Amino acid sequence: MSNNCVLIVANSVYQLLTAVHMKTSILNGRETDLLVTNVTQSLSDCLPRLKESGLFRRVIFGTTKDLSRKYGAAGGEKLTEVFADIPRIFRWVLNEELADYSQIYFSNFDIFTRMLACEYDHGDCAFFCYEDGFSSYVIDFLREDRAPVNRHEQASKIKEKIEGYLLYEPGLAMRGDSIKNNALPKMDPHDHRLKQLLNFIFDYHGTKEPADFIFLEQSFRAENIPCNDLDLMRECQQAVGTSRFLVKPHPRNENNIPLQLGLTRKYPNNVPWELFLLNEGAQGKTVITVCSNAALSGRILFGMDIPTVMLYHLFDGKVLWKENDILQKFLRKFHRQFAGKNYYVPNTIYELRAILNYLGGSHE
Amino acid sequence: MSNPIKVSIIIPVYQVENYLERAVDSVLAQTLKEKEIILVDDGSEDNSPLLCDRYAREYPELIRVIHKENEGLGLARNTGVEAARGEYIAFLDSDDTVEPQMYEALYDKAIEGNYDLVMCDVKIIYVEEQRSTVVSTYPNEQIDLSDYLIRGNNITYSVNKLYKRRIWEENHYEKMLFEDISLIPALVTKYPNIGYVKQPFYNYFRRANTISTSLVGNMVDIIRAYRNFLTTSNPAYHQEVVYCAAKQLYWNMTQSRTLFQADFVELLQEFQKDFLLNPYLKEDKNTGRILEFLKKEVIPDNIICVHLRREIPAQYLEELHRDFPNSTLLEAVEKDFPAKSLPEKIQAALLAGKTDYVEEYYALKLLYEHGGIVLFPQMLASLNLKRLRLNRIFFGFEDEEQLSSGCFGAIKGHFFVQALLDSYQEDNIFNRAFLPLKDRIRDLLVLHFNLKVNGRNQLLANEVQVYLPSILCYDMQNGENCCKWAEIPVPDGFEVVSTKVLKLWSDRLLENWNLYKRELQANNKANGKKSAPPPKYEEAQIRGLFNRELEERIQEVIHNYESSTSWKLTKPIRALGRLFKHRGGIS
Repeated sequence: MSNNCVLIVANSVYQLLTAVHMKTSILNGRETDLLVTNVTQSLSDCLPRLKESGLFRRVIFGTTKDLSRKYGAAGGEKLTEVFADIPRIFRWVLNEELADYSQIYFSNFDIFTRMLACEYDHGDCAFFCYEDGFSSYVIDFLREDRAPVNRHEQASKIKEKIEGYLLYEPGLAMRGDSIKNNALPKMDPHDHRLKQLLNFIFDYHGTKEPADFIFLEQSFRAENIPCNDLDLMRECQQAVGTSRFLVKPHPRNENNIPLQLGLTRKYPNNVPWELFLLNEGAQGKTVITVCSNAALSGRILFGMDIPTVMLYHLFDGKVLWKENDILQKFLRKFHRQFAGKNYYVPNTIYELRAILNYLGGSHE
Repeated sequence: MSNPIKVSIIIPVYQVENYLERAVDSVLAQTLKEKEIILVDDGSEDNSPLLCDRYAREYPELIRVIHKENEGLGLARNTGVEAARGEYIAFLDSDDTVEPQMYEALYDKAIEGNYDLVMCDVKIIYVEEQRSTVVSTYPNEQIDLSDYLIRGNNITYSVNKLYKRRIWEENHYEKMLFEDISLIPALVTKYPNIGYVKQPFYNYFRRANTISTSLVGNMVDIIRAYRNFLTTSNPAYHQEVVYCAAKQLYWNMTQSRTLFQADFVELLQEFQKDFLLNPYLKEDKNTGRILEFLKKEVIPDNIICVHLRREIPAQYLEELHRDFPNSTLLEAVEKDFPAKSLPEKIQAALLAGKTDYVEEYYALKLLYEHGGIVLFPQMLASLNLKRLRLNRIFFGFEDEEQLSSGCFGAIKGHFFVQALLDSYQEDNIFNRAFLPLKDRIRDLLVLHFNLKVNGRNQLLANEVQVYLPSILCYDMQNGENCCKWAEIPVPDGFEVVSTKVLKLWSDRLLENWNLYKRELQANNKANGKKSAPPPKYEEAQIRGLFNRELEERIQEVIHNYESSTSWKLTKPIRALGRLFKHRGGIS
């Protein structure tokens, strides 16, 4: 095993998409192992095709979801106990043994990543956090007062190891920590080779359900957050008409409730939104979401100017980003400096109706 | 005529065919022989002129008739005075009467003390209520003018007084309503040599639908009347005059003519120094409360009417002037706002022919610069609109979800109007889609003042008043509506109401009734009576009401019901019912 080798950890479809993009751009030519986890259930479906693509030296699968569930909020002794047993745990959760790596790329500061930092606590293995949407720009995950895990000696080892963030728009970062922000090259929407590769990996064959207004669902139900997102979907559906409206389900929500409630027709849910954009383009489409990063990624990743309606002012669920002052500042910054003219943030349900009406072209 | 005329009694006559004979006969029955009666027919269109002529024919030595075109009571009296030949002058209103001894007694008193003026008491007869009361002019027969002004009883009546003729050679009525208030108290201060006969000789019949009890637009003359009183009185009695005016103003503002409260406030502010420094007001805690009004900022008496590329019908303007004769009409047309001075979006809207959108912007601009009430020609205002000048800024619901932008108002330079204007400079959906102003108002109120979009009355942050649809859009309750849609023609005696509002209205009535019944049941239970379980507030919460709001609503509803006339009228019956029920329980 060469110590010039790289490991990328992917927990979500968005992370996998970026992982593939990184491998074909900044890591092109570098021997790279990909570790796909079960944090997003459907990701394992991609494993055969990832292997078949030959893009990565090895594709490893890890059942790391339970680690975060069990130890994410733990502290003190419990953490000391589990961090003393890393090699055995890795043998248990990984289907292949890890190699010696000079760089490890990850997106989430979960227990598994923190264990990696301890396991690769030698001088020549650098850790990089690659973009995972809003949170990568605004949340200082390692701040000591955030969680006990950040005050534990081993669990917080990652703080010493991390050398930087990789962000599509480093200028938007406002986490407040001292970690360096590096630029991740944007995806070229005209890169057919990359598109074909991603279509193969995600088994995407285009959608037969075109719609003018696409509501990007978020994982509130998976996270047990009571909220009014279904009401907002219904409001939008009524405003634009049933035939023009679709809800793209979130991969982490186990049941497709919007479909069951008649709020949408069937729509593939295991494909990253960005891949959809890469294939179908943004022409004539309007994206609606409470606060999904995916709504911004068209702009951030591809520089596309897609009419986007952000509903976070109308959302009543108790979520971190709603109460997080920094995220609100980020959204304002994005809105003012970056989003362009087609970015709408309605303050009232009536304004939402007016916006959708306007975007639906019903105004004279 | 052999004997000199001692008293000329002037009776202005206007549309009083049913009362005139009673009045004239009461003068004919006077014990004073040396009198003349001058009937001034002020352009009556009923049988009054014929009655006057008949009297003149029957009593040529006593009665003269002057027919003239209608100019109002004051000018009719002036006409009578010019024709009068008596040593003294008296006025009688044609629907009142005088006791037989009145003019003889007042004349004798005048001669006795060489008085310029002699007064008597007044008996007020409330016709509909079939009761009467005597209002004493002064506690004793020697009038101390300062004290009389401070007391102010019957001071504005012209008809309970006998005047030396020269007074009316030196003074005249102006053409206005409330001509007596304007002239008589001031006149009293100028002729302080006053006699008094402590007898209720004058019978003042007070009925509904007379000038003193009905509301018409030019009743705003009352402001001018008090201004005249304050400015034309004898300066030697200034402090007393100010106090006398304050007492009457306070009564008018808070009890009798609340419709004109904003106009009164402006009058008070005009004479701020006089009221604030008045020693009698400092002593009188009750009347002194009038000073609180000096701090109140009212919406200026401007009506803002914007009409681009369309004319306002003359009849509309006439009606407006009739109801708001003193208001300043601020009209704006396209040329008043050079295109270059307007925001880009407004220029674009003009080019695109979005005149409604541009009109609304112009209206806001004028409202910010001048303050007042914006009234678009599709809306018909009623006199009640004057009441809304007491707000700092107001809007009204059109239905449960929509606000109306047909009529709204604000004080000059109000920050919310500025915020609305500023929003025209922004790149937002309201400007991109040329959305109507009412959407902009509603959403800004939701955003900044937490407006609840429910079609109900709300006072937001003690600053912004939002009214029910029945106030500014539809006439649904007697005496409540201030402005309504004028575009939909309906037969006389009918009103138009949108289906949505009708539903909102009936829901509200039903909800009030249900809330009230629930509370009664809860009270019954608290008093140990058998009743249904107390209300479950959770049900109300489901409908969007929180406990605190619900409790407030219940108290409001209880207050409304229990202060309603029907509730008060049936109170004794209910009390008897409870008594019998109670007795039944004992036996």
